[in-house]
Amino acid sequence: MTKASVSPTCYLFTFEADPEFPTPRSGQFVNVAVSDDLTLRRPFSIAGIPAPGRFDLLVEMRGKGTRALAEKPIGSAVGVMGPLGNEFTLPEPGDVSLLVAGGIGTAGLRLLAQELRLGGHRIRTLVGARTSEGLLHHVLPSQAGDEEPSLEVATDDGSEGFHGTVTGLLKRALGEPDAPARVYCCGPPAMIAAVAGIAAKAGVPCEALLEEMMACGVGACRGCVVATRSGYKAVCSDGPVFDTSELVLEELVRA
Amino acid sequence: MPDLTTRIGNLTMRSPVMLASGTVGYGPEYEGIIDFGVTGAIVTKTITLKLREGNAPPRLVETHGGLLNAIGLENVGLERFLAEKLREAARLGVPVVASVAGTSPEEFGQLAAAVGERDEVAAIELNISCPNVERPRNPVWSDPAAVTEIVSAARAATSKTLSLKLSPNTSDILSVAEAAERAGADALTVANTLPGMRIDIKRRRPALGNTTGGLSGAALMPVNLALVWKVAGHVSIPVIGSGGLADTGDALEFLAAGAAAVQVGTALFANPAAPAEIVKGLETYMEENNLASMDELIGMAREERRICTETT
Ligand SMILES: Cc1cc2nc3c(=O)[nH]c(=O)nc-3n(C[C@H](O)[C@H](O)[C@H](O)COP(=O)(O)OP(=O)(O)OC[C@H]3O[C@@H](n4cnc5c(N)ncnc54)[C@H](O)[C@@H]3O)c2cc1C
Ligand SMILES: Cc1cc2nc3c(=O)[nH]c(=O)nc-3n(C[C@H](O)[C@H](O)[C@H](O)COP(=O)(O)O)c2cc1C
Ligand code: FES
Repeated sequence: MTKASVSPTCYLFTFEADPEFPTPRSGQFVNVAVSDDLTLRRPFSIAGIPAPGRFDLLVEMRGKGTRALAEKPIGSAVGVMGPLGNEFTLPEPGDVSLLVAGGIGTAGLRLLAQELRLGGHRIRTLVGARTSEGLLHHVLPSQAGDEEPSLEVATDDGSEGFHGTVTGLLKRALGEPDAPARVYCCGPPAMIAAVAGIAAKAGVPCEALLEEMMACGVGACRGCVVATRSGYKAVCSDGPVFDTSELVLEELVRA
Repeated sequence: MPDLTTRIGNLTMRSPVMLASGTVGYGPEYEGIIDFGVTGAIVTKTITLKLREGNAPPRLVETHGGLLNAIGLENVGLERFLAEKLREAARLGVPVVASVAGTSPEEFGQLAAAVGERDEVAAIELNISCPNVERPRNPVWSDPAAVTEIVSAARAATSKTLSLKLSPNTSDILSVAEAAERAGADALTVANTLPGMRIDIKRRRPALGNTTGGLSGAALMPVNLALVWKVAGHVSIPVIGSGGLADTGDALEFLAAGAAAVQVGTALFANPAAPAEIVKGLETYMEENNLASMDELIGMAREERRICTETT
C-alpha cells in the first residue's frame, strides 16, 4: 500500500492486490479492515487501476476508520474483501456520457472515467464541491488532447469555476446540442436526488453510485438498504450502482 | 487429534462453532468467504410467516466495541424460504438451523411445523428476543407464561431439536429458562442483543431509522457470558452461547462457563475467517491441555465441575 495526499482532506492509496483478486469493474467497491479496534470494515469504491494487479482508493478523512487507514505505514498489508457489488452499465458506442461528481463522489466515478476513456467513449465531466479545496477533478484521467471543453467545475462558494451547485452545470449541459445520452453520478444524497430529477425530466438514463453504512458487504445482514420502487434493496449486493428511476428519491435524503 | 464433535439434541455438528442468526443471511451470501467446512451449523436469518420489509434505514451504527442494528427482521417469508433459500443453504454442506419468529404461540407452531418437516432443517431456533420489532409493554422474552405457550406450541408441532433464543434484556432470565426447559425445549441460545441507541449530532436525530437497535459485538460479550454462566448452572438442557465472540479466547470463556456450543455473529463482519480460526484454536487448546472431547471442555470453569474433577 502506498499513499499520496491529493487535497487537504483526501488521500489516494494504491494497493498491490493478491494474485487471486479479480480485476475490478467500475462501480465495484472493497470492504477494508482499517483497524483492529473497530467492529466494522469500511467500504470504499475502487477508484482506479493504475496497472494490472493494482487498484486505487481515493479516501476522504471522515472519522476514526478513514484516519486509521491513513495512519498505516506505507507498505502495510491491509485486509481487503472484494471486489464487491455490481457495475455501471457502459454506454453505446458513439454516445456521449456525462459524469457528475460531488466532493468525494469523484472517487466513485474515477474508474468509470478510466474505463470509458480506454474504450474510446466520449465523456464530459462535471465536478462540484463546497469550496475549491474540496475539488478533486485533478485526479481524474488526463483531459489533454480533448477537442471540446470536457471538464467543468462548480463550487458552492464560487472560489473556483461556476458559482453554485453542479446541478446548475448539469441543466445547461443537458440543454446543449450533442447532449449526453447517459448520466452517471456519485456524491451527497441531496446532489444525487437533484441530478436524478433533472435527468428524468430530460429523459436521459441516469445511474448513481450510493453510499450507506455497511457491515457484511455481501448482502447477508440487510443493514445497508435503500428504498426503491420495488422495496428495500441492499446497497452492497444489489448496488452500489442503481438506475435512479428505480430509487424513491424522497427517501434518499435524510431529514 | 481432539474431537470437536458437538451434540445438541439430535443436532450433530463437526465443531461447536455455529454462525449466528441474521449475520450470515441464508448462507450462500458468504459462499467462498466463510469456510463452512469447519463450522458446526448455520443459523439462518429469522423467518416470519409473511415476508418482512424491515425497518427504514439507517439500520446500522457502530459504537465503541460494538454495533447497533435495527434491521427489523427483514426476511423473505416462510414460503420463499421453503421454496428457495433452504435448498440453497443445504447445498453448503453444513447443518442448517432454521430461526423462526411468530407473533403468537400458534404462529410459532405453524412455523416450527413447516420448517420442521423439511429434511434440510437440522434444528430450529425460536427467536423470541429480537428487540427491533414492535412488542407489547410486557415483552414475551421476560414472560415465563408466554414462553411456556410458545415452546409448547412448537414442541407439539415438530420432533426436531428446538433451541429457544433468550434475551439478555430481562431481570429474571432463570424463570424464562426454566419455563422453556419444562415446556420441552432441547436447548437455549443465550443470548440475543441488548437495546441501545446513538444520536447523530449533525442531523440532530437518532442515528438509527428505528431510533433504537440491538447492541452486539465485543461490548456485549461479558454481559451474555454472565447469563450463560447463570443459565447453564440452572437448567440441564444444553446452552448455546452468543454475544460478541471474536476469537478462540472468547469461545473458550463461553465453553468454560458451561456453553455446549457457541455462535459467531458480528465478528464475521470484520473477520469472516473467525469461525475457522476459532475451530483451529480450540483444537490447539485441547491438544495442549490433553483434552480429548468437548465434554472435558464444557463448564471447566464451574465450581461443581472443578469439585467433580478433583474428587475423581
Ligand atoms: C459503496 C460505497 C463506496 C464508498 N466509496 C468511498 C470512496 O471511494 N471514498 C471515500 O472517501 N468514502 C467512500 N465511502 C464512504 C466511506 O465508507 C465512509 O466515509 C467511511 O466508512 C467512514 O469511516 P470513518 O470511520 O472514517 O467514519 P465514522 O467515524 O464511522 O463516521 C463519520 C461519518 O461518516 C459517515 N459514514 C460512516 N460510514 C459511512 C458509509 N459507509 N457511507 C457513508 N457515510 C458513512 C457517518 O455517518 C458519520 O457521519 C463509500 C461508501 C460506500 C457504501
Ligand atoms: C445485523 C444483525 C442482524 C441480526 N438478526 C438476527 C435475527 O434475525 N434473529 C436473531 O435471532 N438474532 C439476530 N441477531 C443477533 C445475533 O444472532 C446475535 O445473537 C447477537 O448479535 C450477539 O452476538 P454477536 O455479538 O456475536 O453478534 C442479529 C445481529 C446482527 C448484528
Ligand atoms: S452490508 Fe450487509 S447487506 Fe449490505
